[in-house]
Amino acid sequence: MSNLYNRIAVFRAERGVSRRELAEAVGVNNQTIGYLERGDYKPSLELAMKIAAYFGVSVELLFSFQRFESVADTLRRAAAAGDQQ
Amino acid sequence: MSLLKKLDDLVYAIGIDKILFRKVRPRSLRWIPLFVLAALIVGYVLMASIASRPTAKFFVGWLLFYGAYMTAMLLRTFGPRFVATARDPLDERELTVKARAYATSGIGITVLAMLGCCYMAGAEPLGIWRPHMPNDWISLALGLQAIAMLLPTWIASWLQPPPLADQED
Repeated sequence: MSNLYNRIAVFRAERGVSRRELAEAVGVNNQTIGYLERGDYKPSLELAMKIAAYFGVSVELLFSFQRFESVADTLRRAAAAGDQQ
Repeated sequence: MSLLKKLDDLVYAIGIDKILFRKVRPRSLRWIPLFVLAALIVGYVLMASIASRPTAKFFVGWLLFYGAYMTAMLLRTFGPRFVATARDPLDERELTVKARAYATSGIGITVLAMLGCCYMAGAEPLGIWRPHMPNDWISLALGLQAIAMLLPTWIASWLQPPPLADQED
């Protein structure tokens, strides 16, 4: 079975949302959000779409079968692209 | 202060409300059910091995068996959540864990019952022990009930990873 990676923790930290707040918004137990973030639980399509809708992004931005680039790498790449321009 | 108010306060003071209203934080009980199961089996063997009752050995077995039986009933409250409350319905992860735990324990109990029936069928011709007193049979039924209560809690505890250290509660 393939791994399903997600960036819920990153989005949550960026928006300053607690696990409890996110859990209440999408209708799950706050432990479930913790298990999702740790990669210990794969959400249903319904839950994945609810979380994506909560953050206002597409599901692909939040969940992926490939490991996400780290925030540091993304920033470094963005800075390098800015320098080139 | 009325007697009812005193009793009400007592319930909250000793924490029974946490069990009644399922306010207990769910925990992974990966090992405790095995100890309870062991106590249940040892208790049954001690009770059933005595032909002439009552003896001290029988009472030790009785205490072990019924202690384990009561613990099996209580453990469900402290283990992974199986029962939804109006305030906290079970979410999709908890429902999945519950379904898998009950399905697996159902298979386990079926296999156990089948093996038990085969044993009973062979016990008399082979001249080995089998339940013969009414107490043996009743205890066996209660033991099966306790196992049916313990197995889902034990299996669900292994199905879900250990709880997070940071609960953000």
